[in-house]
Amino acid sequence: MPGPLEGIRVLDLTSNVAGPFASKLIGDYGGEVLKVEPPGGDPSRRYGPFHGDDPHPEKSALYLHLNTNKRSITLDPSSKAGRNLLRRLIERADILLEDFAPGTMESWGLGWDDLRATQPNLVMISITPYGQTGPYRDFKGSEITLEAIGGPLQNNGHISLEPLKLGGHTALYHAGAAAGFAALMGRLRVEMGGEGDYVDLSVYECQAGFRDRRTVYLTGASYTGYPSKRGGSTIRMGSGVRPALDGYVNVLGAGNRLPALLKLIDREDMAENPDIFKPAAFIPQDLVDEVEASYLMYLMQNTKLEVIARAQELGMLCGAILTTEDLVKDPHYRERGMWDTIDHPFTGPIEYPGRPLIMSASPRPAPRRAPLLGEHNIEVYIDELGLAREDLPLLRAQGVI
Amino acid sequence: MADTTKYPKNAKRPLEGVRIADVTVVWAGPYVTQLLGEWGAEIIRVEPINRIQPYSRGGDSQVTKEQATALAQQGQLLGAYPDLDPKDDRWNRSAGFNAHSRNKKSMACDITSPEGKEAFIRLLKVSDCFIENNVPITIEKAGLTWDEVREINPRLIMLRMPAFGLSGPYKYYRAFGTHVEGMIGHHLIRGYPNAGPDYTGDAFTADALAGVLGAFAIVTALRHRERTGEGQQVEMPLAEAFLPVLGEFIMDYTMNGRVTEPQGNRHPSHAPHGVYPTEGDDQWIAIDVATDEEFAALCDVLGAGALASDERFAASDQRWKHRDALDTALGEVTRSHDKEALFRSLQAAGVNAAPVHNEVEALADEQLAARDWFREITVPTVGTHRYPGYLFKMANTPDEVRLPPPLLGEHNEEIYLDLLGYSREELDAMIEKGLVGTTYPPEVLASALGL
Repeated sequence: MPGPLEGIRVLDLTSNVAGPFASKLIGDYGGEVLKVEPPGGDPSRRYGPFHGDDPHPEKSALYLHLNTNKRSITLDPSSKAGRNLLRRLIERADILLEDFAPGTMESWGLGWDDLRATQPNLVMISITPYGQTGPYRDFKGSEITLEAIGGPLQNNGHISLEPLKLGGHTALYHAGAAAGFAALMGRLRVEMGGEGDYVDLSVYECQAGFRDRRTVYLTGASYTGYPSKRGGSTIRMGSGVRPALDGYVNVLGAGNRLPALLKLIDREDMAENPDIFKPAAFIPQDLVDEVEASYLMYLMQNTKLEVIARAQELGMLCGAILTTEDLVKDPHYRERGMWDTIDHPFTGPIEYPGRPLIMSASPRPAPRRAPLLGEHNIEVYIDELGLAREDLPLLRAQGVI
Repeated sequence: MADTTKYPKNAKRPLEGVRIADVTVVWAGPYVTQLLGEWGAEIIRVEPINRIQPYSRGGDSQVTKEQATALAQQGQLLGAYPDLDPKDDRWNRSAGFNAHSRNKKSMACDITSPEGKEAFIRLLKVSDCFIENNVPITIEKAGLTWDEVREINPRLIMLRMPAFGLSGPYKYYRAFGTHVEGMIGHHLIRGYPNAGPDYTGDAFTADALAGVLGAFAIVTALRHRERTGEGQQVEMPLAEAFLPVLGEFIMDYTMNGRVTEPQGNRHPSHAPHGVYPTEGDDQWIAIDVATDEEFAALCDVLGAGALASDERFAASDQRWKHRDALDTALGEVTRSHDKEALFRSLQAAGVNAAPVHNEVEALADEQLAARDWFREITVPTVGTHRYPGYLFKMANTPDEVRLPPPLLGEHNEEIYLDLLGYSREELDAMIEKGLVGTTYPPEVLASALGL
C-alpha cells in the first residue's frame, strides 16, 4: 500500500527532534522524505542510548526511531556549491522544512520571498525556539529552557522540590507534530488549487498553546489575575499516585468518583457524612485522614494491575505506573500490534514504537529503517539531479557532501 | 437539507468548508477540534443539556463565589471564572472550556436519546468529519460505530480517540491523560531521581500530543478522500499517540534490556542541565549548557570564579560526571540573581537559559506581546479577555478568531432549523422534552458535585 500521503515530496533540512518528527509522520504515512544532513550527520546520531551502548552514529536509538521512512543525503549549504545543489533540491520539493537560526535561509538567498518567486506552490516551514521575529528571536532554546518559559515547569513536580520537566523531548515532539499538521494543511490547499504558504513555528508558542494545562491556566490567569501553582490541582483526597503492593497506581477517586472509591476500599459507611462531598479543599482533615488510611490498607493488599482492574469495574478513571519493561511486555499493546520489528545493518532486528494511529481505508506502508548517513547520495545526486559520477569525490573533498 | 459539503476550490483557509460533528469531551478531543477550527473548519459541538458531562464545560464544578475565589488564590485555575464569579451560568464561564472553544458552535443534543440520535444522524449526513474521544462503550451503545455511520455517509471521516484502543484487554478502561501516561511509562520516566513516583504529580501531556496528532490525522484522511472519494475510520488511542515521544527509552529496553530510571531534569550528556533557584519565593531559571564555551560564559555572567576554576567542572565529560555537585554549587550562585535579568544577560552571552514563567508572567511576556500571540475575545455574559493564541503563524492564511467560545446551545436554531431542516414545531417539541435548550435543568445542576 502506498499510504495516504503518497506523492508528497518533503525536503527536510532539520535536525534533532522537532523537524525530524514532522517529516517522520509524513514519511510513515506515505510521503517521500529526503533528509539533508550536514556532512557530520544529524546531531541526534550522537545522543544515547545506543545499541549495545556503543556510541556509533548508526546506533542511536533516538536517530533510528525518528528517521524511519526517509532517505539521507549529506550537504553543507554554507558553501556556494552546496547552496546551488540545495536550490535544485528545493525545486523538486512540495514541502520544505528548515530549523536554522532566523535569517540563515535568507542569507543564503533561500528565504521564503526568494523561493516563492519561482515556486509559488511551495509550502515552507521554519521551526525555531522563539520564532522569526520579536526580541527573543536570536535566543537559544532547548527542551528544558522552552518548558521553563513555555509552561510545563510551572506546573510539574512537587511543591517542596524543584520544578520537574516532562519526559525526554516532549515539547519538541509536540512542536514537530504541529509542524507536520501545518505542512499538510498547506499542501492540501495547494492540491485543491490554492497557493503555497510559509509557516513560522516557534516551539515557545507551541508550549504556550500546549493543552496539557497551559492554555487552560493562561485563560484562568487572564480571568482572575492569579497564577497556577506546581502540583496544586492534583493533591486531593483519594486521588493521585499511591503505592500498591508491587508498584504504584494513579486513581481518580474524588468528585463524582468518590462513591466508587469508598466502595473500592469498603468504606461506604463514610458516605453518611455529607462533609465528605464538599469540594476537595474544604473537606475536614480528619475525614481526609480516615479515607486515606483505609485506602492505603486496601492498596497494600493488591497489585497495581489488580487495583486498576477493580477500580475500572467500578467506573473509575485510573492507571498503573508501568516501567518500560512492563510496557513492552504488556499483552494489551502486544495484542494490538503496537511494536514494529525493523531490521538494520548495524543493530539487527529491533522492536520500535509503531504507528500512533490506524487508518481503516489508507493504512500506512510497511516501515523502512532509518537511512545510513549519506546512504542515498548517489541515488539523489547522480540518478535524480544528473550530476556526473566523477563530481561526487570533488564535492566530498570540498566538504560539500 | 443542505448537500454534503465539498472541499471548496481556492479556499483561503486550508480547512474552509470542512464541517466537523464534534462529540469530544474533557481535554484531548476538544484540542483536536480547536486546532482544526483555527484554520477554517466549521466545528459543531454536540452537547447534552439533560445531563452534565464531567470535566468538560465546567457545569459540574458547583462552587460559590467565595470558594471560586479561594481556589484561584490557591492557584487552582481549572475552575477559574471571570471576576472570580461562577454566576448562574458557570458552564459558559469556565476557563477549562473557554480555553479551547473559540471558532466552535454549540448544538444541544443528546446522542444517547432517540430524538437526539435522529438529529445527530442528520448532522452526519451533512458533515465531513465525526470526532469523538469517549469511552468506546458510549459510542457502541449509541449505535454510532464506524460500521454504522459509514452507511449514513460513506465520505465521512470518523476519528475515534479512546484511552487505550478499540481492541485489547484495556479497550473499555476509562482514563485521563495522566492515567494513560502511567500505563505507557511516562510517569516513571519523568520522575525525580531521588523521590518516589508519588512526588511526580499528574500531567496531561498525552492529551497535548493527541490533540495535534488528531488534527494531523484529519488532514491526512481529508487528502485521501479528495483523491479517492473514500471516507474512513481513524483510530488513535491516547496511549498509542504518545508512544513515539518515548521512543529512545522504549528502544533502550528492546535493544539493551535496560529499564529507564527516572530522569528528572537530567540530560544524557549536558551538564549543567537543570532548574536552579533564583531570588524570591519559588522562582527558578532553567539552564542548559552544551559546550565548554557556554560554561565559561555562564560562570563569567554569574561572577562565579570558583566554579570556573574548579577542576571537576573543566571539561564537559567531567561536569557530567560531577553533575550533582555542580548543580548544588550552581544553585547557590543563582539564588541571589533576579531570574529575568539573569535570563537576558545569559542569552546575551550565548548561554541557553530561560526563567520559569507562571501564567501572569506569560501574559506580560514581551516576546508573546511583540508577536501579538494572545487573542482578545469578547464573549456575551463573560466579557472581554485575552486568550491563548494559535500554535503557528501562516503567512498566506487569515487566522483571526471567527467565533467566540459558544454559550451552551447558542447555535441551536441555526443548526436545527437552517442546517438540519427541522421545522419550528419540531424544534419546539425537542425543547419541550428538555433535549434542546441553553441551560441545564435545576435538578441536574443541584445534583452536580463540587470540584
